[in-house]
Amino acid sequence: MSLSLSLRALPRSSSACSHIASVQVCRRTYYSIHHPDPPPFPPVQATILASAIQHVPRLGFTQAAVTAGAQSTGYLEASTLLFPRGPFDLIRYHLVTERLALKDRVQFPADSKLGLTEKVKKLVVARLIANKDIIGHWQGALGHMSLLENIPASLAELGNLADEIWYLAGDKSVDFSWYTKRAQLSAVYASSETFMTTDQSPGFRDTEEFVERRLGDAKTVGGAAGGFTDYVGWWAGNGLGLARAWGMKV
Amino acid sequence: MAARVLLRPSRLIAQAVNIRPSSPRAFSLSMRSFQQQEARQSPAQDDRTTHFGFETVPESEKEARVGAVFSSVASSYDTMNDLMSLGIHRLWKDHFVRTLNPGSRTASPTSAWSILDIAGGTGDIAFRMLDHATNINGDLHTKVTISDINPDMLAEGKKRSLATPYASTGRLDFLVGNAEKLPSIESNSIDLYTVAFGIRNFTDKDAALREAFRVLKPGGVFACLEFSHVDSSLFNAFYKRWSFGAIPLIGQVVAGDRDSYQYLVESIERFPTQEEFKAMIERAGFVAPAGVGYENLTGGIACIHKGIKPV
Repeated sequence: MSLSLSLRALPRSSSACSHIASVQVCRRTYYSIHHPDPPPFPPVQATILASAIQHVPRLGFTQAAVTAGAQSTGYLEASTLLFPRGPFDLIRYHLVTERLALKDRVQFPADSKLGLTEKVKKLVVARLIANKDIIGHWQGALGHMSLLENIPASLAELGNLADEIWYLAGDKSVDFSWYTKRAQLSAVYASSETFMTTDQSPGFRDTEEFVERRLGDAKTVGGAAGGFTDYVGWWAGNGLGLARAWGMKV
Repeated sequence: MAARVLLRPSRLIAQAVNIRPSSPRAFSLSMRSFQQQEARQSPAQDDRTTHFGFETVPESEKEARVGAVFSSVASSYDTMNDLMSLGIHRLWKDHFVRTLNPGSRTASPTSAWSILDIAGGTGDIAFRMLDHATNINGDLHTKVTISDINPDMLAEGKKRSLATPYASTGRLDFLVGNAEKLPSIESNSIDLYTVAFGIRNFTDKDAALREAFRVLKPGGVFACLEFSHVDSSLFNAFYKRWSFGAIPLIGQVVAGDRDSYQYLVESIERFPTQEEFKAMIERAGFVAPAGVGYENLTGGIACIHKGIKPV
């Protein structure tokens, strides 16, 4: 049965793939470290955006930065029509490239004695520090991300970042906490990022402390939730035992 | 008569592909009619064929027949467009030009854009682009060359250009030419190539795309606004009824020319789907924009495709 199912599914998926492949790189629905993902942006887009990002500290996440990026790589002003969402495409490029760069920036030795929370904290701080050159423009970028048409892509990218951080921290959970962990970390990261835009302390020390406190809170909340589940489960088991002891057919 | 007019659209929808507008016939004659169609569909072996609406015609013939259609509709073109699209075609064209954002943002004559508007006979798109460049981007140097294969349409555009502020500024140029071969336009000389509601009528669309690729500067943009295919089946049912039922009728009543508008709706039906056309653009060497690579308007009735010539 399962064989026939998979056989039936095969031709469909392969034809869908070949159809897409002729147009763009085929996208997988799973992730595997043995088969690295194709580059996130097609070559022409990547060239222009990589150059445009250099202009962001001066021009911000604006159409002007995209145009400057196009012109300094030999493209025309008109070529920016390649990016229908304009500044948001530039912001997304920043988000994606910095997420992918995280694995090279932070590496834990195999015999690392750091706990999971410590690793997560290091990764979150490292990702935040990657915003330091453009932090003056980040509030504007957050504004772009919160526009209605950009919210789905922004949230998806936040989810990807949370996933990446837990993966790099070495978390291997396959229970329901997989979801809660990612949700919690997304919330922590988003609030820390907003905090950082107003942080004036040298080396963003305040932001680091902020992250530490938020992660502590998340741990407390997570712990409390876990404790509550245990408590309810214990009483449910007890209640069942008691009911049976009284001769109920349960 | 009225009943026949009303019945025809549903017959056409039911894939009765080759029904001629004026051929009510007895069943006993249908076999002969079918053979005639066969004969029409298979011209001489050595002659390549193409679509003219739902008909199959030799490639050599399509140009002349499209020419006849547009010569006959040139004067009533705008009235007809308004009636057929319920005024929406103006919104599409405005949106098309707004997303292209033509004109240089740095006010220097050297950075002015050179725009080629293909099949732009009546100047709809060209005037809008010049307005946008001038009023929005403050660019007084960007030029548009309006090219059309049909001198009647181009004459209409020239007449209308006299009412615009660009008539004697040298920013407008007119060129009678076939988009598949533009020998008077240098390679790598155009910033923006636009074709709005035109490419559907080209005999060889791939050749036109290759020619667009040739004349564009590296980094230049090919932009096409064209009727396409509706993505929702429910909306499509209404749309087909409107296009096959009402449009030829409006053509008959307003422009006195049913066949030209019958051709119009059939050619829309024949045009490649969004994905197919995007693949054609990419085959010519262009890079599609980020995201899906095209933009549907009004549920896919029209669609904007763009392609960038890589450096």
